[in-house]
Amino acid sequence: MASTIEPRRAVFASAVFNILDPIPYGCFFAALIFDIVYFRSGTILWVHAAAWLIALGLVAAIVPRLINLAQVWFTARVRADGIDRLDFVLNLVAIVIAIVNAFLHSRDAYGSMPAGVWLSAATVILLTIGRGMLATRYAR
Amino acid sequence: MRNVTLNYIGRIALVVLIAALAGCHDKANLDPAQQSGGDPSLPQARNFLLPPMQVPEFAGWKDGQMPKVASGLKIEKIAGDLKHPRQLLTLPNGDVLVVEGNSPGTEAISTPKALIASKIKNRSGKGKKGGNSITLLRKNAAGGAWEKHVFIEHLHSPFGVQLIGDSLYVANTDAIVKFPYATGETEIKMPGTEFADLPSTVNHHWTKALLASADGSKLYVGVGSNSNVGEGGLEIEYRRAVVLEIDVATRGSRIYASGIRNPTGLGWEPQTKQLWAIANERDEIGADLVPDYLTSVRDGGFYGWPYSYYGQTVDERVKDQRPDLVAKAIKPDYALGSHVAALGLWFSTNNALPEKYHNGAFVGEHGSWDRSPLSGYAVVFIPFKDGKPAGAPETLVFGFYSDDEKQLYGAPVGVTQDQDGALLIADDVGNAVWRVTAAP
Repeated sequence: MASTIEPRRAVFASAVFNILDPIPYGCFFAALIFDIVYFRSGTILWVHAAAWLIALGLVAAIVPRLINLAQVWFTARVRADGIDRLDFVLNLVAIVIAIVNAFLHSRDAYGSMPAGVWLSAATVILLTIGRGMLATRYAR
Repeated sequence: MRNVTLNYIGRIALVVLIAALAGCHDKANLDPAQQSGGDPSLPQARNFLLPPMQVPEFAGWKDGQMPKVASGLKIEKIAGDLKHPRQLLTLPNGDVLVVEGNSPGTEAISTPKALIASKIKNRSGKGKKGGNSITLLRKNAAGGAWEKHVFIEHLHSPFGVQLIGDSLYVANTDAIVKFPYATGETEIKMPGTEFADLPSTVNHHWTKALLASADGSKLYVGVGSNSNVGEGGLEIEYRRAVVLEIDVATRGSRIYASGIRNPTGLGWEPQTKQLWAIANERDEIGADLVPDYLTSVRDGGFYGWPYSYYGQTVDERVKDQRPDLVAKAIKPDYALGSHVAALGLWFSTNNALPEKYHNGAFVGEHGSWDRSPLSGYAVVFIPFKDGKPAGAPETLVFGFYSDDEKQLYGAPVGVTQDQDGALLIADDVGNAVWRVTAAP
């Protein structure tokens, strides 16, 4: 969103958003790495860790996603451009995939493989594309 | 261009969601009788996002309410207000020991699933605290409820109990404890001495079934696995999913048979004098998989867990696979039906029930969370001929849940017969002991 002088409420929302939004991204990214390690090694610790990270990532995503929902479609709708809306959709799809992935990771042992790796990868790729787009949109 | 992309992403999300929801729905197609016997049909294994689940809510027995019995039989309650009664042993003088125990609750919560699943499963009343004690019941000359005595206290999640001569062996979850016993005693105050230690890390499956050989020289211990299918790592499965043989004189033990996921009951088949076991098979690959079983147990035999079931049917959830072990896995003798959760075994050649129940095995089926509609929650009889099962299981005692399958009154565990030949059943949800005889 283009920067102009913002009301105090919006500044607070943006601050909360910027503090919390990296947490799920980090969780899902670590889960992907642990899934790959488990896929290759079969050492159970890693898939347990991945299951916790996906669950924590989803919980941590609730507040920043709600703030983003409000900003893109309601409070800052006029300033939100196509990139903001696409980022919102990419995040939404990533979260849906992560929810499915959390259930998938409730399967016992190697039952979550290899699909778990693919879903973790899809989550991370979608979030990365969204972040990349936002970061580069004013580049000439 | 952007709209096309958005459309495409939206469509993928929809497909994923529909797949997720479709995966949640799975009703059983085969009832236990259809999936019993030597060659049960085994449908294709499925992986779920949410496994089939149905847990009735604890209600308990109201005054005068009782399980139902097959025609020709009569049931009465001989003891109530027990603390999670699980196994029964009739002593030579006719007194009946009731072992009261439940899980020690030492399994760590290692996954988000474990956190949620334990809460759901415990709604049924199956997870309530056990008494960690043994109660002695003595028949009252006047009939009705039996005399009740606190026999042994301060045990540690006990399950199996056996008497050899004047020594009583109690299988706590972590060790076999030995008590001196004199005929007619109604209380043992002396602390037991540790006789042999048992595998007791984690204790996912905590019950230790116990059976003495006829000559009293050996004790056999059923030790369950520490997981459903190795999801805790195979390093915690040392001496797990096995039947141990302990030499009573030396206390030395060895693995008698392995690969039996959870051998919850042991018995001697009267005609062949062969060791038999009931076992609970794995969950979460379908409402009709994997049938629990009753099998003869061969010295040195390997029965598949976790790598395969019913011989060579491989379980894809195990990493790394072991084709060498799968190749030698023995197919169990007799399937009891999927998720019936057999927890009590008693062979009988003669009893106070009608003649058709005279030669075979009684099995107490506790019921499982992993099946819809419910199965098990019954005591069944498997007729034997020439030392082998001959025919489908017949249900003797049932009606442990409400007709709409929403409420749970009780759940049968250990079965035995008393001095008069009546069938006794421990009910750990209803906290009662039931006695079944022929109808007058």
